[in-house]
Amino acid sequence: MLDSVTFNALNSALDGLAARQRAIANNIANINTPDYQATRIQFEDALARSIADGDGNITPTEHVSLEPTRLDGSNVNLDTETTSNIDTVLRQQFATQAISGQFSSIRAAIKF
Amino acid sequence: MTFDAIGISATGLTTHRKWLDALSDNIANVNTVTAMDDAAFQERFVLVETEQGNPGAHVAGVTFGDPEGIVTYDPNHPLANEEGYVRRPDIDLSEQMSSLILAQRGYQANAAVIDRAKTSYEAALQIGRS
Repeated sequence: MLDSVTFNALNSALDGLAARQRAIANNIANINTPDYQATRIQFEDALARSIADGDGNITPTEHVSLEPTRLDGSNVNLDTETTSNIDTVLRQQFATQAISGQFSSIRAAIKF
Repeated sequence: MTFDAIGISATGLTTHRKWLDALSDNIANVNTVTAMDDAAFQERFVLVETEQGNPGAHVAGVTFGDPEGIVTYDPNHPLANEEGYVRRPDIDLSEQMSSLILAQRGYQANAAVIDRAKTSYEAALQIGRS
């Protein structure tokens, strides 16, 4: 039960979301650093494929943002970073609640 | 480490605060007059870089502006030389003020990320409760 697809998938999702939080923090820390290229984290598509294959374990991938650069050579967009940051926080809360739900099912099974 | 968004944002806070410090020093000295024998007040620039394998923004050092300054004819000034010249700093106040806004907004953006990261960590602490 503890290594079911659901647990693996929720774990992978939390890993991916944490990596995205880190990338966003890094991008915003370098918001005014000349020539800095923003990074993006992707894991949703790979996770969906992995769940379809009955596994659920993935590692998030990082790539450089292709947004046009500003005059100082940096391409951090504060609007997208901020919305993505809030989105990631909410998704993390979803995932933690889902994991807690899984644990309560196990707890119920133990008491049974 | 998984939970280091707060640390990364802290590096952003540090670099922006250093920038604010440099800008306030520049603005405080925008009218500082020096004698021709001395260097003019030099504008302070903060250099920020990213480090491989060390996330966040890091202060790489400080560079200074032109020590020549702007040579001005002001014969009544107590620091003027025999020809009546003094040095004024070569600082553009409007440039400093717009940079000040950038630095302030950058600092606020990083502070906001720390606040949101805190919410995530609090959610993580709830795993397995109840």
